[in-house]
Amino acid sequence: MKINLYKILAVWLLLSISGCADLNEKPIGVFAPETFFKSPKDVETAVLGAYGVIASENLFGRQFICALQFRGDMVDIGNRATSAERIQVNDFNMDSNNGMVGRFWPQWFQAINAANSAEAGGISLGLPDEEINHLIAEAKFVRAFAYYHLVRMFGDLPYINFAVTDPSSLKTVSKTPEAEIYAGIIADLEFAKQWLPNTQKNNIRTRPTAGTAAAYLASVHLTLGQYQEAYTEAKFVIDNKALFGYELETDYEDNFKASIANSLKETIFAFDFLGQQAVGGNNDDSLVPMIEVLNLTGGYGVSVPNMNVYDDWDSRDYRKKVSFIDTLVVDGVKRPYSEFSTPRPHIGKWARDFGNGNAIGRYSDHNFSDFRYAEVLLIAAEALGEINGPTAEAAGYLNQVRARARNWAGTQTNFPEDVNPTMSKAEFIDLVLEDRRLELAFEWKRWYDIKRRDLGVKVFTGPNSLEPHPNFDPSRDYLMPLPASELRINPNLAPNNPGY
Amino acid sequence: MLKFLILRRRGIIRIFMLFLLLSPGILLAQSKTITGKVTSNEGETMPGVSILIKGTSTGTATDIDGNYSIQASEGSTLVFSFIGMVTKEITVNSSSVYNVTLETDISQLDEVLVVGYGTTKKSDLTGSVSSVKSEELTAFPVANATQALQGRAAGVNVQSNNGDPGGALKVRIRGGNSINASSDPLYVVDGFVGGALPPAEDIQSIEVLKDASATAIYGSRGANGVIMVTTKKGTAGKAKVDFNTSYSSQNEINRLDLLNADEFLAYTREVIPNYVDNGADTDWQDQIYRTGGIQNHQLSVSGGSDRVNYYVSGSFFDQKGIIVGSDFKRYSVTSNLNFDVNDKISVGLNLLARRTGRNGVVTQEGSGGAGGAGVVGSSLRFMPDLPLRNEDGSFTLASIGDPIDNPYAVATEREEETIADLLQGNFFLNYDITEDLTFKTTLGVNTNNFRTGIFVPTTLYAGRNVNGDATINSGKNTNIINENYLTYNWKINENNTLTALAGYSVQKSTNNGWSAGSQSFITNSVSFWNLGGGAVPKIPSSGFSETQIASVFGRLNYSYNSKYLLTFNARYDGSSNFSKNNKWAFFPSGAFAWNMKDEGFMEDVNLISDFKWRVSYGLTGNQAISPYQTLARFSNSYTIIDGAPVNAVRPTTVANDDLTWETTRQFDLGADIALFENRLNLTVDYYRSVTSDLLFSVPLPSYSGYSSQLQNLGKVENKGLEFSLNSFNTTGEFKWNTGFNISFNRNKVLELPDGNDILYGSGPGHLIGLGQTQILRVGEPVGSFYGWIYDGVYQEGDDFIPGGGFEQVAGGEKFRDIDGTKDANGQLTGEPDGRLTSDDRTIIGNGQAKFIWGLNNDFSYKGFDLNIFFQGSQGNKILSYTLLEIETLSGSNNSTKKALDRWTPTNTDTDVPKRTLSRSQRVSSRWVYDGSYARLKNISLGYTFPKSISESISVSRIKLYVSAQNILTFTKYEGIDPEVNYNSSGSTNSNRNLGLDYASYPNAKSYTVGLNISF
Repeated sequence: MKINLYKILAVWLLLSISGCADLNEKPIGVFAPETFFKSPKDVETAVLGAYGVIASENLFGRQFICALQFRGDMVDIGNRATSAERIQVNDFNMDSNNGMVGRFWPQWFQAINAANSAEAGGISLGLPDEEINHLIAEAKFVRAFAYYHLVRMFGDLPYINFAVTDPSSLKTVSKTPEAEIYAGIIADLEFAKQWLPNTQKNNIRTRPTAGTAAAYLASVHLTLGQYQEAYTEAKFVIDNKALFGYELETDYEDNFKASIANSLKETIFAFDFLGQQAVGGNNDDSLVPMIEVLNLTGGYGVSVPNMNVYDDWDSRDYRKKVSFIDTLVVDGVKRPYSEFSTPRPHIGKWARDFGNGNAIGRYSDHNFSDFRYAEVLLIAAEALGEINGPTAEAAGYLNQVRARARNWAGTQTNFPEDVNPTMSKAEFIDLVLEDRRLELAFEWKRWYDIKRRDLGVKVFTGPNSLEPHPNFDPSRDYLMPLPASELRINPNLAPNNPGY
Repeated sequence: MLKFLILRRRGIIRIFMLFLLLSPGILLAQSKTITGKVTSNEGETMPGVSILIKGTSTGTATDIDGNYSIQASEGSTLVFSFIGMVTKEITVNSSSVYNVTLETDISQLDEVLVVGYGTTKKSDLTGSVSSVKSEELTAFPVANATQALQGRAAGVNVQSNNGDPGGALKVRIRGGNSINASSDPLYVVDGFVGGALPPAEDIQSIEVLKDASATAIYGSRGANGVIMVTTKKGTAGKAKVDFNTSYSSQNEINRLDLLNADEFLAYTREVIPNYVDNGADTDWQDQIYRTGGIQNHQLSVSGGSDRVNYYVSGSFFDQKGIIVGSDFKRYSVTSNLNFDVNDKISVGLNLLARRTGRNGVVTQEGSGGAGGAGVVGSSLRFMPDLPLRNEDGSFTLASIGDPIDNPYAVATEREEETIADLLQGNFFLNYDITEDLTFKTTLGVNTNNFRTGIFVPTTLYAGRNVNGDATINSGKNTNIINENYLTYNWKINENNTLTALAGYSVQKSTNNGWSAGSQSFITNSVSFWNLGGGAVPKIPSSGFSETQIASVFGRLNYSYNSKYLLTFNARYDGSSNFSKNNKWAFFPSGAFAWNMKDEGFMEDVNLISDFKWRVSYGLTGNQAISPYQTLARFSNSYTIIDGAPVNAVRPTTVANDDLTWETTRQFDLGADIALFENRLNLTVDYYRSVTSDLLFSVPLPSYSGYSSQLQNLGKVENKGLEFSLNSFNTTGEFKWNTGFNISFNRNKVLELPDGNDILYGSGPGHLIGLGQTQILRVGEPVGSFYGWIYDGVYQEGDDFIPGGGFEQVAGGEKFRDIDGTKDANGQLTGEPDGRLTSDDRTIIGNGQAKFIWGLNNDFSYKGFDLNIFFQGSQGNKILSYTLLEIETLSGSNNSTKKALDRWTPTNTDTDVPKRTLSRSQRVSSRWVYDGSYARLKNISLGYTFPKSISESISVSRIKLYVSAQNILTFTKYEGIDPEVNYNSSGSTNSNRNLGLDYASYPNAKSYTVGLNISF
């Protein structure tokens, strides 16, 4: 018996040893990049990942678009007990440790990294152009979209257009000059315009088409003052609007209704948020609580326009009514804005219909839009105005936008009236910019207009300033600082942008 | 025949026993049967006395009547030992009957301590080991046995993460060795590495292995120290029945003194003049706190014959939390069986089956914004002028500010139930191949099934908008271990003995889990048990991971007359968690001990009864990272297209082909000194450990698309001094024993990636804009608080320092301008620049204690015994987000009475700023407090009835006691309780977030009555 036991033990020993040799990990339920890409479907899955990164709390859910709002002269801080980082962005006294930048800067690069790895995955399949280029084009579009925002916000910055496998190797790169970044953006968008389809399935606007790429090309060229190219691209979009399915919504307000967001013909590019379904930061939007009244709706009451914006705006303009909430009905009682915790009219766009969100509109159903067809018309008007002055064609584009604004929820009004192209070129350009300010009010566009047109001194320190900031410094404030943490890791990024 | 086989098999043995290539002594010496009886000095027969042939592992134990029988050769020495008695040695001569009397022992040097893969006498110990005995572990009822270690052992810091019933504890041995990897010690339960602890009542002793000599045998898991748990075993003799029962009544340890309704109205109307009085005056702390209690019952039966011994125990622990809606129950069964198959082979089984059930309330919320406030947080913030319910019966919501539910509603309406079933079995077989050579094999299985259900009904704000929200998650963790080792005792000659140990071990852990949920229910009555009835399903999730560790280990102990002792330990570990290039690593240690008292020159020093020096040095590892972290990975990226989620991934982790263990190099120098005939025992240790190749989330340039990568980078140092003192002040009828321990630890970051500061934030999410709150900086302790220096309140006429988001008004917070001027290269010069910016932040404290201590006094006289146990921590700072939230005096929350001293134009001599609506919440020295405390942890008075009485009711012992826990705390901390942790769970945060406080479940003070009966 003893002997048998001993034998059993010996066998057990040997079995145990042979059973233990394998220390190689075989993960189940996680994706390994090196084996992930097998078909175009996988490339698509990787491209789509980038949209989730952008449709997030740090970018189009709150931080980035709010920062753009604060930076301009249309949105001021309401509740000044809010975090200092927001006040600093709004008041032009931020520093390189600003928390808003700390959130959206890395998030943009996660989107870029997602696009880069999708592009590399697409190329790695070695398929014929016709089978894969539409997906590679989509990845390039996302990269261009991200860098277009970044370069306007920060100027020179590292331009990474390849899939990163060894991040430490990037610790010594220098900033890429703005011009090179723009060249990369344009090249990506042109590839996208060539290879993207004219419409996406179900004509959705949350994935780009050739029309989307052209619209962004128009915007990029306008930003660079390349008015001929801007006009050409805008004209291309306008001429082919039927092909792409673009038209102005008859009711301006429809553009901001979450419940019909997926069927809007005016949207050119937007990010789809689904109500009450945030995962991590993805699909987590808080724009609505940011603009809602603190004491009456429970919102945060942070992003509140200066009183001048409301007072200055002609009340006959339907867009003013849509853009503002100046009276709230709470428990059947009318509460004028004088009873708001910040006694100013609050932003009304997005606040009236946010679909399935929580009580203060967080986790809404909105598709936050970055580009509407109205803006294409305004780009065409501005670019053509720069080339040829206020021609009938140029005024015609502007008048399409104005005509739609005269539809006061189904009732035709006579304001704003059509523009007569008899004014000077400068007057016309000013008029278009003014129309952009109102048509696109609070839509995170104004700051970029102020920057590209160098309006800062005028709009923040001038006599008619809507939101005075006497400390505005054009040599510093057109660019935000790169995060201090990035300069610590990579001293080659020094010096930071001027003034920081 | 057997001997022959063994000799033939020696080739195999050799593979595992590097040290035993030439093993003499395998042949048996000439032996005869020795018998006798063991009695105590009080004349009672002693069952269960261990009898060992010196220098071998051959032994036996006395039976019920104190009789023994053993085979021993003439000239060998029999060692009789029993816990609490002086060990006696008898040399076998021609006689074959030896009756032995054992004396009661007050010396601790003969105490047998459990170490890795064996035991050792304290006098033969070369490493640094603390031992905590059963009486200390069961001094008062605890949900988790580790809780009972608090204050009991030098170098061991135990803190509750939160005071909730059944909540987790943080245990640190000699400081936190890591920054981002776990610094939790390794638990070894009856040899089961990573086993679960049975209830404190079933534990015989806990040994804490601290230095490298003691821990290196556990190699890659030894760096954070090892807690060796030995459960109770039966001893030969008639069945012994123990019944222990206690009931405790509990209350919250402290409250904050908040504004009442009138004060709140005045405070609020100062800035919101039209604030409408809601008419009530509610003390929300009254609403949520109640008298809680613990009932704890345990029944055990133990005993045995000469071949079998058993210990079986059942226990029931039931805690009603001090906050409405919280409770914890634990049912557990422990069973230990040992069976001698024959003279050579014994087998045994340790079983633990346990169910825990816990109903939780939300505290320490990660974000207390709309609908997210927890019970304690809300009780401090919520408006006192609001009643419990509205007129329509619904619960009140905050009248201004974030719409949060009142705390009573959160406590009672929200359901959170966790049920966990644990089954742990450890089988072992011990085979005495020869008298000197023993083989042991173990097979352990531990499986833990848990399920958590959460339901947020429509009566709460968070559930209202979604018509109820239900989630269930469930999972199963399994741990299987097989260990095999040989122990060889070689008495080379009279003076030299050698013990060698060699073995190998394989361990596999798997974790799997899943979660599902849905929203929008017809009724609240279904709780989380009808997910299908929810109209809106939530995103389900599931996950699986597996880890394997394979190891070879060995130890060599050499003793010269027990005067000079040498120990070498080594373990060679392979772990699947690590990268393909670095799966294996080697962890050696060595130690030397010198029993100086045994030297001739000490012979006449009568004052000193024992004096031993110990010195050790060695390497241990920390492999506490999750599986698959070295592999590049795509993760799901939740993306909505066309109104619905789609398949989408993005890169989230980059590969690290070289990632490997953290290595801790520890030096220890210690002494064990006994004075006055062993009446005073002192242990002193100095240690210094440096952990290098930290498993560090190294920040990457974020333009790479990745925020960080786990790399082996950075160094942390812990060094310190430990003293522990045990004194038998008086003996005889009136006994007074004192135990005191004190530990000084200094933690310092020695190296960081590129030498750069690393800033990070830990504040609750809804305290927006706090941003970075802490810093890792070379030369400073891990997790130093980082913020502005608060300089009191601005007065009229002061020069207000400009700065974005900083107040520039009288009555506003004033901060110090300390930096901001840059040189030509853009580097900060440390010169003020006249502006307040983020450059003016500096280190404003840290949560590391200068020292921690425990002081225990036991008195006994006749049947009475009195225990007084103090425990404390000195020099640690607390950053209180709780007080930051309610005392910033901005916004809509209620505040403490401190608000009554706020700055007004007529009350200017104050450091409390004025009431406002436009002050940003900001981390500053204003919120950093001295967290030192001394606490009367336990005071207990017991009475053991005289034998005459107990025997008249047929019990052998009956003891009644009353005790109180945590009834006195001395502290300057202004928050509820200085014993706090916040945002401090999970490996990333467990070391770097020390000394934070936010809305914690308070610890309880208790009054206990209990009864112990033995039959």
